[in-house]
Amino acid sequence: MQAISAEPLARDTEHRSRADARHDLLFRFLLRFCALLVLGTLLGAALSTLWGGREVLFKDGFHFLFSSDWNPVEDQYGALAPIVGTLVTSLIALVLAVPVAFGVALFLTEIAPNWARGPVSTAIELLAGIPSIIYGMWGLFVFVPFMASIEPWLNDTLGNVPVIGALFQGPPLGLGLLTAGIVLAVMILPFISSVMREVFKTVPARLKESSYALGSTTWEVVWDIVLPYTRSAVIGGIFLGLGRALGETMAVTFVLGNSYNITSSLLMPGTSISSSIANEFNEAVGLHRSALIALGFLLFVVTFIVLLIARLMLRQLARREGR
Amino acid sequence: MNDLAAATAAPLAGATSSAKIKVRDVHFYYNGYQALKGINMDIPEKQVTAIIGPSGCGKSTLLRIFNRIYAIYPKLEAKGSIELDGENILDPNYSMNRLRTKVGMVFQKPVPFPMTIFENVAYGIRHHEKMSRADLEIRVEQALRSAALWEEVKDKLKQSALGLSGGQQQRLCIARGIALRPEVLLLDEPTSALDPIATGRIEQLVEELKHEYTIVIVTHNMQQAARCSDRTAFMYLGELIEFDNTEKIFTKPGKKQTEDYITGRFG
Amino acid sequence: MSAIYARRRITNGIAMVLSGFATLLGLIFLVWILWITAQNGLSALNLTLFTKITAYADQGGLSNAIVGSLIMDLMALLICAPIGVLAGTYLAEYANSTRLGASIRFLNDILLSAPSIVLGLFVYVIIVLPISDMTHGTISFSGFAGSVALALIGLPVIVRTTDEMLQLVPGTLREAALSLGIPQWKLTVQVLMRAAFSGILTGILLALARLAGETAPLLFTAFGNNFMTMHPLDKMASMPGTIYQYTNDPNPALHAIAWAGALLITLFVLALSLLTRIMFSRKKVSYE
Repeated sequence: MQAISAEPLARDTEHRSRADARHDLLFRFLLRFCALLVLGTLLGAALSTLWGGREVLFKDGFHFLFSSDWNPVEDQYGALAPIVGTLVTSLIALVLAVPVAFGVALFLTEIAPNWARGPVSTAIELLAGIPSIIYGMWGLFVFVPFMASIEPWLNDTLGNVPVIGALFQGPPLGLGLLTAGIVLAVMILPFISSVMREVFKTVPARLKESSYALGSTTWEVVWDIVLPYTRSAVIGGIFLGLGRALGETMAVTFVLGNSYNITSSLLMPGTSISSSIANEFNEAVGLHRSALIALGFLLFVVTFIVLLIARLMLRQLARREGR
Repeated sequence: MNDLAAATAAPLAGATSSAKIKVRDVHFYYNGYQALKGINMDIPEKQVTAIIGPSGCGKSTLLRIFNRIYAIYPKLEAKGSIELDGENILDPNYSMNRLRTKVGMVFQKPVPFPMTIFENVAYGIRHHEKMSRADLEIRVEQALRSAALWEEVKDKLKQSALGLSGGQQQRLCIARGIALRPEVLLLDEPTSALDPIATGRIEQLVEELKHEYTIVIVTHNMQQAARCSDRTAFMYLGELIEFDNTEKIFTKPGKKQTEDYITGRFG
Repeated sequence: MSAIYARRRITNGIAMVLSGFATLLGLIFLVWILWITAQNGLSALNLTLFTKITAYADQGGLSNAIVGSLIMDLMALLICAPIGVLAGTYLAEYANSTRLGASIRFLNDILLSAPSIVLGLFVYVIIVLPISDMTHGTISFSGFAGSVALALIGLPVIVRTTDEMLQLVPGTLREAALSLGIPQWKLTVQVLMRAAFSGILTGILLALARLAGETAPLLFTAFGNNFMTMHPLDKMASMPGTIYQYTNDPNPALHAIAWAGALLITLFVLALSLLTRIMFSRKKVSYE
């Protein structure tokens, strides 16, 4: 023991300190550079598509946005049809996916027996893991024929309802906006339901218990306590799903039908921003290519805003959790 | 500096000629909130100094200034001076590297690095000193022997340190600290996460180590302070209430607050 | 009173049943899609897929697409794993409470769900076009460009998991290392990253699962190729790209090959995500 402190130490703390400080600085610089690349990617995606689409966007911006005339032969490009198609399919997807996702989240947090929660939620989340091209194939080869078989029935029932009837008329092609919307709904279902499930779990047990103690039913607790408490995060989750739906390409390209006609019926073929790009980009030259890149810019801006809202809503919850 | 020392000499109970650390008028601010209010104390060399007091009294805060580990968090600020061998460690020019090699620290919970047992001890040495593998092995063995852990781990030096028991992990952390051959060893409630048997071993170890090192131990366990320290400081609400020989503190405390605390009337 | 009570009970009952149906509906779609993929894929699966290239069309296989995908996925990981891990480390260790860190973390979450086709366009504009201009068209679309596009898909996944995993490492480990006079970079690389190693690895595998199934970003970056190539500056075939091309073809024999490819890629991706899920639930941080 005595020997320990007797021998002198071969230390050069001054030199060591200077070297450490230098390495720390370099390391920090490298890390910050990598982190800034994330910002660079977003900014770059916006600027590069803006630049690539400049010929169309700046020449006649309003005409591009509001014209429905998309004609590569005459070099006329109006983006209205893809914009409408994107919005309509995403809206259908939301209308269908939100209640189902809510049901799934409710089932997994309040109703399902404990042993079933893990496996079932894993299964639902596997839906999010399936590559979108598989959704596209399944949509084209399986779901389109299925839709074609039930569309005559839709014509006869929903098609005769006043006001919304016009949405459900047309030949039973199977392809079209409604089919694409349903495929998108299946795709975004796991995203919305997993956000809902996560936020439902954050509701303090004492809140729920005090409501149960007053004799409330499960449904009343969820509707009156859980939903109001988690409102902003639930909306955030829905917007997250919307952001996914707006930008999805492969799942809808096969089943939309690639038509630039804007129709009142959801059973008719249409197109969307992403599927127009995917279908035409590699054959497009000149102004046509520029118009497609400009479409990409529009898509990026819209999804960015939607996702921004989603994250802001979700952040409120994170803050309440004290993270 | 001498003026200040002279001016504050009066409240310095038990100042000795061989003070290793001289704490002079230290204030500490946590995000604007004052956690320490004008602490003055002399910590004697090669003795065990215990700091006791109810939780939130600032005892851990004070300990964490001695090696400036608090400085890794934003918005924490220490004022005053702490002299280690006559040099003020709170001076921004005082090399952090030098300070950390002179002052070792062991924490509440054992925190072995996710490496082998050997690497845990060798890691710090390697960073500060260049030496041959054989010399390094000797140093590691010495440190493990000093921490009374060698016999238990000598056959599994290549195994992960995470496989050791809590008490062994804590002794490994002590070995890791003394492997750098510091002059001061700070122990921040080193036994609060351990069972009584492991605690006993650590206390015994502290007893042995004080021949080599100046030890400052923060504890909420008054019996522990009484058992293994030479001098005891009692802190309350960010102030140093009393600092004297351990025996005196526990038998004839000079202040009412100290007496209330050690007799368990508050805490 | 009892009428109100009965009505509440009934409402509750209906809601419970409907939520059960919703879950069942989700599971039905999962089973339906997987079943169709397995059925069509298995019947088309044979050795030719792995030995012949796509140039033989319906007499051929997918070997060039498999090799192309492996090369591009691997190159993408080589690009995004180091950048992502370092960026995530910056967020967790250096900028955790700064405004810059908060903004990057926030925007990274947006990048996580950004439309992949736009990232493909981005790479087209910044890599494919300039290289094509510089080489007067001899090199345009390339496996390298495809890898960069895929890397952009994987990047935010790795940034996020690395960030989260490092934040789970107890702060005392940092204090312990710093109190030994270890500099922060060494502490970060040799102690913290090691403690969070399995978590960070999970993130990288998750990123692989995510980018391996992507088609859209490859369409105008790697383009596709009917022949075998391993040169990163050649046009390169990929599994998803070939599946896309074959599905668009009227020839049913090509559909069969597409299904076989779809099965392979689904198995790969789902196996990876299940594996990471198991790793994740068992050990988030190899500490404690």
